[in-house]
Amino acid sequence: MKEKLHHFHVAILIYMIQNGVIIMSLPRLVAQNFGYNGWIALIGLSLVATLNIFLISLVHRFGGGRSIFKLFEDVLPQFLLYPLYAFLTCIWALTGCLVAKNYVYIFQILSYNTTNAIYLMLLIAVLVFLFVIKGIYNLSKATTAFFWLSQWMILLLLFYFKDFEWARMTPFLFAGETHILEGGLSVFSAFLGYELYLLLIPYVDNYKKTMKAVMIGNLLTTFAYVAISIICFGFYSFEQLKHMAYPVLDLLSYIQLPFIERIESLLFGFLVFTTIITTGLYMWSAKETMHRILPKAGEKLLAFLIIGAALAVSWIPDTLSKVQQWLQFLSYSEIAVAFVLPLLLLAILLVRKGARP
Amino acid sequence: MNIFRRMNRAGNKKPEPEMRPAAPEEQDVKPELSHTLNEFKDCADLVHQSLPDKGVHFIFIGHLIGLEAFAREITVPFENASPDDIAQVLGRSQYREIGDSKTLIKDILDGSVAIFHDGRAYAINLCKPETRSIQQSETEAVINGPHDSFNESAITNLSLIRRRVKSAQLKIARLEVGEVTKTEVYVLYIVGIANMEYVNEMSRRIQNIEVDAVHDGNMLVQIIDDQPNSVFPLFPTTERVDSAVSRLTAGRILVVMDGSPSVISAPASFFEFFSSPDDYYQRWMLGTGLRILRFAALIVTITFTALYVAVTTFHYEMIPEDLLLTLTESRSKVPFPPIYEALLMELTIELLREAGARLPTKIGQTIGIVGGIVIGQAAVQAGLTSNILIIAVASSAIASFVIPSYVMSASIRLIRFGLIIMSGMLGVLGLMMSLALIIIHLSGLTSLKSSYLTPVAPNKLSDWKDIFVRAPFWMLRTRPTQSKSPNKVKNKMRE
Amino acid sequence: MGKIKPLAAAALIALLAGCGDQRVLESLAFVNATSYDLVQDKEDGAKENLLICIDVPKSDPEGKMKREVLSTVARSKKDAHLQLAKQTELMLVSGQLRSSLFGLSIARSGIWNYVRALVRDPSISQNVKVAVVNGNAGELLAKRYPEHPMTGQYIDRLLEKEADKMSVPRVTVYDFTRDFYDDGIDAVAPILKQGKKNIEVNGIALFDQDRYITRIEPDQMPIFALLRQNVKNGELSIDIKKSGEEAEQIMINSIVSRRKVKVRRGENGNFIVNIHFRVMGTLREYLGDLDMSDDRHRRELEKRVTASLLKDADAMVAMLRKHNVDSLGIGKRVRNSMSYKEWSKTDWNAVYPKLDIKVTGEMIIKDFGKVY
Repeated sequence: MKEKLHHFHVAILIYMIQNGVIIMSLPRLVAQNFGYNGWIALIGLSLVATLNIFLISLVHRFGGGRSIFKLFEDVLPQFLLYPLYAFLTCIWALTGCLVAKNYVYIFQILSYNTTNAIYLMLLIAVLVFLFVIKGIYNLSKATTAFFWLSQWMILLLLFYFKDFEWARMTPFLFAGETHILEGGLSVFSAFLGYELYLLLIPYVDNYKKTMKAVMIGNLLTTFAYVAISIICFGFYSFEQLKHMAYPVLDLLSYIQLPFIERIESLLFGFLVFTTIITTGLYMWSAKETMHRILPKAGEKLLAFLIIGAALAVSWIPDTLSKVQQWLQFLSYSEIAVAFVLPLLLLAILLVRKGARP
Repeated sequence: MNIFRRMNRAGNKKPEPEMRPAAPEEQDVKPELSHTLNEFKDCADLVHQSLPDKGVHFIFIGHLIGLEAFAREITVPFENASPDDIAQVLGRSQYREIGDSKTLIKDILDGSVAIFHDGRAYAINLCKPETRSIQQSETEAVINGPHDSFNESAITNLSLIRRRVKSAQLKIARLEVGEVTKTEVYVLYIVGIANMEYVNEMSRRIQNIEVDAVHDGNMLVQIIDDQPNSVFPLFPTTERVDSAVSRLTAGRILVVMDGSPSVISAPASFFEFFSSPDDYYQRWMLGTGLRILRFAALIVTITFTALYVAVTTFHYEMIPEDLLLTLTESRSKVPFPPIYEALLMELTIELLREAGARLPTKIGQTIGIVGGIVIGQAAVQAGLTSNILIIAVASSAIASFVIPSYVMSASIRLIRFGLIIMSGMLGVLGLMMSLALIIIHLSGLTSLKSSYLTPVAPNKLSDWKDIFVRAPFWMLRTRPTQSKSPNKVKNKMRE
Repeated sequence: MGKIKPLAAAALIALLAGCGDQRVLESLAFVNATSYDLVQDKEDGAKENLLICIDVPKSDPEGKMKREVLSTVARSKKDAHLQLAKQTELMLVSGQLRSSLFGLSIARSGIWNYVRALVRDPSISQNVKVAVVNGNAGELLAKRYPEHPMTGQYIDRLLEKEADKMSVPRVTVYDFTRDFYDDGIDAVAPILKQGKKNIEVNGIALFDQDRYITRIEPDQMPIFALLRQNVKNGELSIDIKKSGEEAEQIMINSIVSRRKVKVRRGENGNFIVNIHFRVMGTLREYLGDLDMSDDRHRRELEKRVTASLLKDADAMVAMLRKHNVDSLGIGKRVRNSMSYKEWSKTDWNAVYPKLDIKVTGEMIIKDFGKVY
């Protein structure tokens, strides 16, 4: 696996990690938390993410392309290192697993209502396992293929122009009941995924191009989010949007084709691709981190153990709202990781730079 | 042209044209008449002729020798020569003096006439065995374009290729495969266009084969490909000269095996299996239409029956109102769940196909038509299947035959069963999961260590115009990126 | 090699899963239409019970029975579903529901609870049509119409066609919910009426929130369409009566109209709303004394038609304001010309009847057929 990731693939990888099931409820979250025309807030949040990406790219630049683990290991003593790694492994593995569980639970609203979710989770876990053990280069290849297979769905937005009405958007900006801070955090979790750039550093070459690629990936995400939210704001009335649990799911069910209709379960099925990627990449990150603690263990064994353990833990939340609460909590810690980790690394780099001459 | 020269040198250096695994300890045995005859003891097809007055013995295998050449090279010169001139005759360049017995025996087996005179042995290759004439390919027929195709003789096949690539840069390395059969395998590439890494990798793999016999190119493919456990063929084989040559000039390498009309080309991507030479012999819009049709066929053949099963088992709400009643009506008489119904029909179609393939053409056709109609019609009337399923199964079977590569189409038909079962178990989610599995599997595959999904992942948008569509020729300026050709641009090629 | 084990595991899991949630086509009874009515309790006259009817098409190959109607009287919707499920040997599913009908009795007392149930159920499409029945919805659904053996499909297609013609708005669960939640518009729904041998569209029901208030008469439906939305492919039939003369009868079809609503502030801060429509159409029938090939005459006719349309439109707006239903969505436009603060302080129900609403319009005859 000496091959470096091309920046095009980095962009797609980041986009696909960011994208996920949260898109189904995103317009509602935005409406609830930012009020009228809340979709504009997405642009602001995207800027925050961009800033964060820039921060990570500084790590990439000043670290000279070395992996963050090496940077840590150069400075931190082992008794600090292992808890940190263990913490990161936990966060990433659990996030990955709960993303999948969230997907399964939402799918169970549509069909397979009484099937024990563990079967579906196990199936996804098998897929994720097969995905993860292929190594980052093949991972990115599969991601690109998934990208082309699932992202044509954005074109479906054209279906909604007939019932779209600008007047429903209203000229009010962020008016009505808003929860800017709390809601901002929960909406920002939709952007998470770019922080895995930290782990991609050793697999890419040029930091400038990579930074650009990650930002483009983030931009694509923003574009998709904003486009879908705009459609929702003009397609549904504001109060209605606030009362829909999964407005995009309803949006999908609106499409009628002459030979097939109500294709929401089919289209939602396509999201299994992005779910596998999000889960897979988080699992991969957890595996990479774990590998630092147990350098002798085989990659496959590690992947198996991590996925198994995460699956077991993710079994505790047993209702959709509990899963989402956990996910919320995890995404808060993930946001913290996304900001603190690069800052910490930068501090380490600065200290070392100061100490050397 | 700098690159060119460099590649030239590299090309001449690496795979030696003759690489015979000869056992060193036997190399020094001097060829003797008696020893040679002893080696060929009990070989009824060995011919031993002699001119006692001139002290010349000829040993050869009768059916390997061309009669005309034998008369020209053996009968005429030796009959007419006086006993003293024999040495002079044998001094001519076509008679090679052979130093060791092992080589001589191999030469005889290759169709040489061994000449013994005065304690020395000579050989002249007069090989011209009976072969099938050059005919039209039955598995890869085209409507337009050249109709000649490879046959079982490697010599003929090489000559067919050489006749179309009149370039000294077309290099042919000769290798051998099979401990018993010693089948000749030729690796063909164009120096300066092909990437030598691929050539070396391919030669290495072929040399590393340790097997008693290889009977066909399609068998050789499975021995040398990257992932023997994959369902998908990783190297395409072709019987068509034009498509072999087009791959050669695209910077890929060919492997010609004696005794097989299937010529292997490598490296290849998944999507290459969906193009046919026909695409290039028609106007580009038609070619593009055909390409799109084939990828649509791929989608249809993979998903149609599976979707039917998923929808009728789990997602009744997806059926439009107008279809609903017809569908329920035709389903209402069927005693099994949709998945068994679908598997039954798919299996029947496979049986029909297999039966048709094995029988002589005329009976085969009858089997196909009669079997199809009778079983289809009767199954519906007997209430074993619904007629909409028959349509789904039939259209996905037809679609599978649209895929030009027979091996690929067979692989895809096999995969379909997995998809149907998963859809029957888990509906649309099962379908999507199996698709995800296929993609994950595909993305891990390599063909000669290059990605099997090439123009899609790694993403090379410039290649898309010769993969998903067939752009006009003026747009097809570069060679496919997968061949990693040192000479990327097609129309700068100069000899 | 390493791949075979996980694959085997996956296959095994797939075998275990899923079997319980199958919805195999032939074991299902698809509810095609539902009707809701309120009926008086037999014992306790003051109490009202829910009468629910469902129409289940049957796929009988012999083709005698095309459908089955199940009905039940229950305290609540939930009860009713349990009751109904007991009446059939098949599994009752609502994923193929196409229309839901509300009797006038229930429409008067509010239908939101029932519509919300339709929204909540993920198996029910957002495109289920909502209609009000002038009379008893259950009777309309249960009755057999010899010419139309499948009542549910008949109703669905009737509403679909009428909506395509733009004479009634297309009202689905999605539309109803959207307008119900929107503070700038009030929901509407088509009204169906049971005829002797058929069903006919009999006006448009106007709601305030989810309560039926009043209706637009069938002959006024085109005017309502012109005022409410952009119309494509509509039809107009107008009788212009002048004193002492015979009525002119005009029929215009292939109508394309554009509606514009402008809101501006008057001097004393009140809102002045201008609804303008521009109608273009083909003259199909004309019984009168004007010569259509003459430009001046045609313009004269256009003027007369416009005047007639405006008269009706004014009457309609007045009627809507009288009942305090904003079915035209004027509130949306007014809202969009305010700041949020002002809008949240505004009591739209109080402001709406006092608004200064002006309707203007023009009618253009694009061509007049093959007669010169």
